[in-house]
Amino acid sequence: MPNSCAVSTVRVRPFQESPERRSGAELMAANPYRPWPARITSITDLTEHEKLFEFRLVDDRIREAFHHAPGQFVELSIFGVGEAPISISSSPTKHGFIELCIRRAGKFTEALHKMQCGDIVGIRGPFGRGFPIDDMRGHDVLLVAGGLGIAPLRSLINNVHDERSDFGKVTIVYGSRTPSDVMFRNQFEMWKHRKDFELHLTVDYPDSTWDGEVGVVTKPFEHLEVDPGNTFGAVCGPPVMYRFVIEEMSKKGIAYDHIYCSFERHMKCGMGKCGHCQIGHQYVCIDGPVFNYWEAKNIQGSM
Amino acid sequence: MLYRVIEASEIPALISAFMESHEVVAPVKKGDVYAFDVISSPDEVVLDYDTTIASPKKYFLPPAETLMTFDAQGNQLTDYTAEITPRVIFGAHACDINALNRLDVVYKDAPYADPYYIARRQATLIVGISCMPTETCFCHLWSSDEARFGYDLFLQDIGGKYLVSISSNDAANILESACNPREATDAERIEFRHATRRRQAAFNPEIPKIQEVAMLMDAFHDDPFWDELGGKCLSCTACSSVCPTCFCFDIRDVRDPDGTTGRRERVWDACTAPQFALVAGGHNFRSDPATRVRHRMYHKLNGFLATHDRMLCVGCGRCVKACKANINPIEVLKFFERKGAADAE
Repeated sequence: MPNSCAVSTVRVRPFQESPERRSGAELMAANPYRPWPARITSITDLTEHEKLFEFRLVDDRIREAFHHAPGQFVELSIFGVGEAPISISSSPTKHGFIELCIRRAGKFTEALHKMQCGDIVGIRGPFGRGFPIDDMRGHDVLLVAGGLGIAPLRSLINNVHDERSDFGKVTIVYGSRTPSDVMFRNQFEMWKHRKDFELHLTVDYPDSTWDGEVGVVTKPFEHLEVDPGNTFGAVCGPPVMYRFVIEEMSKKGIAYDHIYCSFERHMKCGMGKCGHCQIGHQYVCIDGPVFNYWEAKNIQGSM
Repeated sequence: MLYRVIEASEIPALISAFMESHEVVAPVKKGDVYAFDVISSPDEVVLDYDTTIASPKKYFLPPAETLMTFDAQGNQLTDYTAEITPRVIFGAHACDINALNRLDVVYKDAPYADPYYIARRQATLIVGISCMPTETCFCHLWSSDEARFGYDLFLQDIGGKYLVSISSNDAANILESACNPREATDAERIEFRHATRRRQAAFNPEIPKIQEVAMLMDAFHDDPFWDELGGKCLSCTACSSVCPTCFCFDIRDVRDPDGTTGRRERVWDACTAPQFALVAGGHNFRSDPATRVRHRMYHKLNGFLATHDRMLCVGCGRCVKACKANINPIEVLKFFERKGAADAE
């Protein structure tokens, strides 16, 4: 039973803007649960199940303050449906827009796939620790994606592309189940003739049109030449793939702490609180989602 | 820290003084047990309670809390006002104060400070009270039998009198206005020492004292013991409901009956719930109860320690009583004791 003090109840308006004009960073920090309106500016069909959405944050202060690293993720909101963590597919070099590659896999993504250009969603973030892009500069990079793993890795791939002269040899291995599952095929087709990208597209089940490689994602490793002391590896894909790819990278002599992988968990808050993404003593949302293999080996239950 | 002595007979006046400006939450008797609840008279308060069913956690992290309200049609926020009631938690044991300090680590002092938690924490005064251990208490193992900070007043029972540690100005003013706090005599200081020693000697000797628990959690991570212990789990999540340090939550959108407006709320969730580690596409990273129980114990007794230098268990013993399958940290300690026995296989 409430006593007499109820009259002195404090009222907190979590979203009230203070009269003075605040910076985007201050606005975001004031309530990190608050999604900011973003407009869909482009939708591209990638496969039967995946679309690439491009968003632009509506508030210019938030847009200016939004800086991400490859490998980070955002929490995407559709009010009334919910919120989901989605890794960013665009490069930080493309400032002002956020691209998210989204597979239709449940209630939330189903609702998103029905939306159109101009519709408003909510975005908060970016969250997590991405790939160590600055450490990678000046070195060779070996980037390996399987299936939907191309979504987070594309951010790194495009970043490396846009700042190509900062990196040594660039090798990209991308494995899909069938040719119709290959995403961003146009982009990779365009790079096929470039001498500064070594590109290996492979599928498990080819059809008559397929002119790429055939076999699982580790197949191209048979003839890859790697300078182990000077190479950073990055892996994104389904959990079963990691062990095999990491094994191949290790065989090539790349050190454990130079092999980076992105972990998939359901990061509900993105801020190291809700607990859903915990593995062992780590939170994928703040300690990851990108871990190097040495770190991952030290997390109970990670592999 | 500043400390003074007050008489036990002054307690009702102190509670009444708090009630003038705050909602007072205190241990009250409910049938055969005790629970924290809002009081309307100092007479309801039972200060020599053994333990309560649940901790005062719910006053900082409510079981369901609205984060924001929205208009789904335009996919935008609507104006929302959270109401935070200034409160006094009167009569919290040291374990619960230490638990609150752990919540502070995650919700207040970590990156992404939580505005909802902080508003409640700042509007709440904590008055602690000393206690004697029950047979399921093991707070001493994790150094949680003493509250070193995180309260406004702490009342140490020294027999008809209380030695009061005073750590906030607000609480000092209320204490001063309601009671006659005085300097402690030498005899009272000595009585405090005796009271502490009596408490330390009263813990259940059958609960194994094991030092290297965190390391053992890693060393025996793949032991069949976890299947044996976790296999019994009913996934009822009672353990985390009563746990003063369990802070995990789910976020969900709830639409109003009109279908267009609604609220986004966070609700308590537990890593022992079957769907906790489910990801989009249907893969569950901890699909069986054994791995969920092991994960919960690992986070309590190792994981949180690795990142925050303290256990995420305060030894309050509530889960020991709440779990119908007898899964609790004491069972884990007993397992480690068996492993260390002279005749262990």
